[in-house]
Amino acid sequence: MDGDSAHSMEAEREMTRLWRTFRTVYELLADRGYEVSDNELVLPLEDFRAKYADPLGYPDRTKMKIQARPTDTMKMKYTPLPSKANPNPQPDCGTIYVDFCPDSSGVGTKQVRAFNHLVDENNFHTGIFITQTPISPSAVRLLSGVPGRICEHFQEQDLLVNITRHELVPKHVLLSPEEKGKLLERYRLKESQLPRIQISDPVARYLGLRRGQVVKIIRKSETAGRYASYRWVI
Amino acid sequence: MAHQGPSHALKTSLPETYAAINAQRPPPSYLYPTQEEQDKYLEGRPGATQQHLEVALEHAQQIQTQKDAEDVILNRILELLELPSSPTADPAAPSQEDAVKLKYSLAPFRPSDYDNLILERNFEDLCGYALCPHKHRKQDNGPRGGFQFKYGPKGSGPGGRGRSVEIVSQDRIEKWCSDACAERALWIRVQLSEKPVWERRAGDTRGTSILLLEEARAKRLKAPAATSSISSVVDDLQSMGLGNRNRSRELALERGDTSLIRPDGRVNVDIRENQRGSQQVAAAPQMRPEDARGGSIEGYVPRERRDVDQDGDIDLLDRI
Repeated sequence: MDGDSAHSMEAEREMTRLWRTFRTVYELLADRGYEVSDNELVLPLEDFRAKYADPLGYPDRTKMKIQARPTDTMKMKYTPLPSKANPNPQPDCGTIYVDFCPDSSGVGTKQVRAFNHLVDENNFHTGIFITQTPISPSAVRLLSGVPGRICEHFQEQDLLVNITRHELVPKHVLLSPEEKGKLLERYRLKESQLPRIQISDPVARYLGLRRGQVVKIIRKSETAGRYASYRWVI
Repeated sequence: MAHQGPSHALKTSLPETYAAINAQRPPPSYLYPTQEEQDKYLEGRPGATQQHLEVALEHAQQIQTQKDAEDVILNRILELLELPSSPTADPAAPSQEDAVKLKYSLAPFRPSDYDNLILERNFEDLCGYALCPHKHRKQDNGPRGGFQFKYGPKGSGPGGRGRSVEIVSQDRIEKWCSDACAERALWIRVQLSEKPVWERRAGDTRGTSILLLEEARAKRLKAPAATSSISSVVDDLQSMGLGNRNRSRELALERGDTSLIRPDGRVNVDIRENQRGSQQVAAAPQMRPEDARGGSIEGYVPRERRDVDQDGDIDLLDRI
């Protein structure tokens, strides 16, 4: 009996951890501008357990697949400015697909290949691959090397808490190409003259920023109330 | 692609191997812009010159080469995961085909890439040595793994007594199926070149001439028989041609002393002594009348003498 209760404790622990990760994923999707319903955002633990637990009480990751479509505001932000060569630009975003990898160790090229194949086959624009352990360096390369698609990777423990909800993390807002143009015009800048933010920055990764975009960072200021700065993603 | 490659690649240098790989692939998407395109680009930019554009293009090409090389390495890793071709292969005596394929594939690798290959193979539940079909060792010592004692053979301790003991972390043991395979795999690792493939030069043979452990041992066993007698040593010394000028030039090239091999290289400095003037003997200075009172110093006349001048005596030198 003792072993049984230890088992269920362990299962309960893993379930709770995964539930938190799962919720952060929905918050991430909402923050990026995908269509997410309100009850998905505040999914209680009981509902999560009822939906995704296997008979032993452990979470069943193969069931946890998420798809979301971008909202119109997001589409607007990802539409490049019309140019002579491209007078009618299309938004550079589309359906996102999130997959939780069930393997508890040794995630390498095999799993990533399967994931890439899935993303390609179903014609998803973006894919997020979530694993329990770090993935091998060649798997990282393989993941980023899908032509025409964006594949990202997170570890479950990276998403255990939502970093953007921390009080020391300022609000990051992505600017649309139009807003970016206005900003550069107003301050008479070239984009290379802006301060920069790395693409590997945790918040940049959370928001899925791409090279060349500009984010507005709004901080609290004791003297001015709010203080905005802008960063160019490199 | 890999099957027609090896025989060709082993004979040639690395950049040529690389060019051969590129030739087999579809044309790249980053074709070099034509002169017209370059001119068109420059038209809209008054500050830029053709030279700027060329520098930028050269750097872009370098970066693209680097990316391509990394892609090649990734593909090679994926190919090597499938080795050995038969599940009953013996790692000590691999099939000729597999050995050639391994050597060919490892040519652009750096040791870190090789480590990635080992990691990938372990993830696939295979021994880290690419020619071994067995599973890697797995010992369950609790969740943290930790360290293990490894005892050497009898008589391997200090002074030939007892046994040597090593403390090895568990993940290092678990990479391989056996110690023999570990030795084989690490023997290959030390032969790889640290230099990334896009920086290697044509003459760089490191990484292209990889020997398997078994081959290297067979070579070493054969070698001592040939150099046993004194006469053969003398012959060898003579064949090295220590006094030979051409040979010493080659040696200088190896040392990186390129000035010997190219005395009239790019920087052709010709020192010639100036003959004029060096034969004249300078005359000793002579006293002139105006020197008696000192005159002016670059047009300035010291005050004491200026008083004298006001008396009516005009110093000609001051007027000049």
